[in-house]
Amino acid sequence: MDPLPIARAQFATTTSFHFLFVLLTLGLVTVVAVMQTRSAFGRKPELLRMTRFWGKLYVINYALGIATGIVMEFQFGLTWTGLSAFAGDVFGAPLAIETLVAFFAESTFLGLWIFGFSKLNKWVHLALIWLVTLTAYASALFIMVANSFLQNPVGTHTENGVLKLDDFGALLANPALAAALPHLIGAAVMTGGFFVVGVSAYHFIKRTTEVEFFRRSMRIGVLAALLGSLLVINQGFAQFGLISGYQPDKFKQGPEVGASLGFMIMIGFACLLAALLGTALLHRDRITKVRPLLYLMVLAIPLPFLAAIAGWLVREFGRQPWLVYGKLRTADAIANVSGGEILFSFVAFTALFAVLAIADWVLMARVAKRGPEVDAPRPVALPVLSGV
Amino acid sequence: MVTLWWGVLGLLIAAYFALAGYDYGIGMLLRGFGGDQRRVLGSLGPFFLANEVWLVAAVGVLFGAFPHLEGRVFSGAYVLVVTLLLGLVTFTASVQLRGRNPGTRGALWSFGIGVGALVTAVSWGLFLGNLVRGVPSGDVLGLFTPYAVLWGAGFVALFALQGAVFLTVRAPEDLVGRARRLATSLVAPVLAFLVVATLWGLVELEGATWRGIPVVAVAFAALAVVFAGLRARRYRVALAAAMVLAAAPVALVGLLRFPVVYTSTVDTLTVDQAATSAETFKLLTAFGVPSIVLMIAVQWVTWRANRGRVDQRSPLHF
Repeated sequence: MDPLPIARAQFATTTSFHFLFVLLTLGLVTVVAVMQTRSAFGRKPELLRMTRFWGKLYVINYALGIATGIVMEFQFGLTWTGLSAFAGDVFGAPLAIETLVAFFAESTFLGLWIFGFSKLNKWVHLALIWLVTLTAYASALFIMVANSFLQNPVGTHTENGVLKLDDFGALLANPALAAALPHLIGAAVMTGGFFVVGVSAYHFIKRTTEVEFFRRSMRIGVLAALLGSLLVINQGFAQFGLISGYQPDKFKQGPEVGASLGFMIMIGFACLLAALLGTALLHRDRITKVRPLLYLMVLAIPLPFLAAIAGWLVREFGRQPWLVYGKLRTADAIANVSGGEILFSFVAFTALFAVLAIADWVLMARVAKRGPEVDAPRPVALPVLSGV
Repeated sequence: MVTLWWGVLGLLIAAYFALAGYDYGIGMLLRGFGGDQRRVLGSLGPFFLANEVWLVAAVGVLFGAFPHLEGRVFSGAYVLVVTLLLGLVTFTASVQLRGRNPGTRGALWSFGIGVGALVTAVSWGLFLGNLVRGVPSGDVLGLFTPYAVLWGAGFVALFALQGAVFLTVRAPEDLVGRARRLATSLVAPVLAFLVVATLWGLVELEGATWRGIPVVAVAFAALAVVFAGLRARRYRVALAAAMVLAAAPVALVGLLRFPVVYTSTVDTLTVDQAATSAETFKLLTAFGVPSIVLMIAVQWVTWRANRGRVDQRSPLHF
């Protein structure tokens, strides 16, 4: 059994699962941080309840982001050992920095934030959510630095058949990073916006009594969707010129690349139009009253996720047959592990992730449908819950 | 520089075992606590996310500072690393999702926590046992030698002991007696593991240096302190000793054949062969060291703020 296609399928599957969760993590934490900031500076009780409700959804989503992230990190050493042998001296650096500066810090701060509700000083607690947000963006930055190096290995030279780092600054100034990072951040913010709008729309369909709560949520969601979709489309097109400079054949690598690209662009424009329409309807809160559109808003929640997976396929398929573009072929990087062993891990990881992802989304759907909790005095016999 | 970063890597992995070890121990013991499970997990609560990421940081440093070791060690013991990850993912996700749906008792998630923790503990034991003994090249069944299986079983006892000792410090007042009895009963199996692994290791291991001796001595001493601490009801002392005990196998793997850091049945790898270039080390030192120091400080604040027992007023999350 040839291990190469199975190892590639395993990497693609794991990354797709991971991406679905981190995309929403990044977008939703931004929205939650904005809500908590407004809550800290204003006196509206809704804003604190919004922080808790959307924070709760964020925390459920985060659980699988971290679980799949651990597997992502191990995969290079499990199946792509040729990468560390050839480019480990360069590629390892941004990955190590990502784990130390970003992932490590993000989880530690998030733990403090979750348990800090009503325990910590309000400004310290607000600083914590911004630290979580900042480290989440730092995480995206360093992962994209590492990925962009694979797309376009700048700042290095080959010595005795091994890549050596000349200039870390060149890795940060990589044209493969310049437009892709804002494109990704735009996608994340748009995803978070669509999610908040969709869930709020569901509650207006159900004729919620929490009108003020979801009206405010809807406004923040629409603005996030608008800013995100503008950024994502602008930076998406900005990439074409840059890509022709370092990977001229990217879009000619087979039908999956062309189809994914077309699909992504189509969804991108649909999302921008929806966001523009939503923004127009914010006037006098018409957006909360147009019932047919409310149904569409719920149905649109998955769209940014689909576009993001398609975009990622374009970026990665388009680089083939290279793992490090022009330097190391994917086929030459595979570990000395039998096809049977990789098949075992591929089936096991895919099955486990599928079960956990579905369970996670079911939980999110239940919490989202239940809506915000009503502030009521707590019976003394019951335990204190963290609030998110 | 190479030796310094070998120490940093050792510190991160040792801290992971010292901290996350009790997570897995409590995970394995959880279902024995019946209706008190939420309060038992509550004792872990504020530390859980912070504990688990030490592994992420450690693997990041392994890749950044020792890429040529990283490429050997995971693929060399492929099946064990995969089962480890399956256990870890199940455990981490189950702990975080268990309490997210109020109104259900979370029995299925508790099952996931128990099984995930058990698979994680057994896999870590087997994995480290193979690293100590020497990894068999290209032979799946060779990963399950009796010596490695002993380590697998030993780690179940080790983590369970650590979890029970942690509960004597943090569990609600009414559960302390049970935690103490559990911990005391686990001292004998851990002692048996230490004795058998040491004696068997003297016969079985090749290429080991004198550096293993102080590590083994520290492990025995730590277990003695755990036992004495439990008897004297000095639970914090017992916990500190249990954490040292859990970190000892990491020190053994790192020092046993130093400067050889990886041994397989066909070849060996020294720390210099495993290391990255001087430029990358400079970069890692600039970014990594301040970050690690800061994180230790932030986690220290977390420990200080939550040093008391879980009671009526403690927020529960998981």
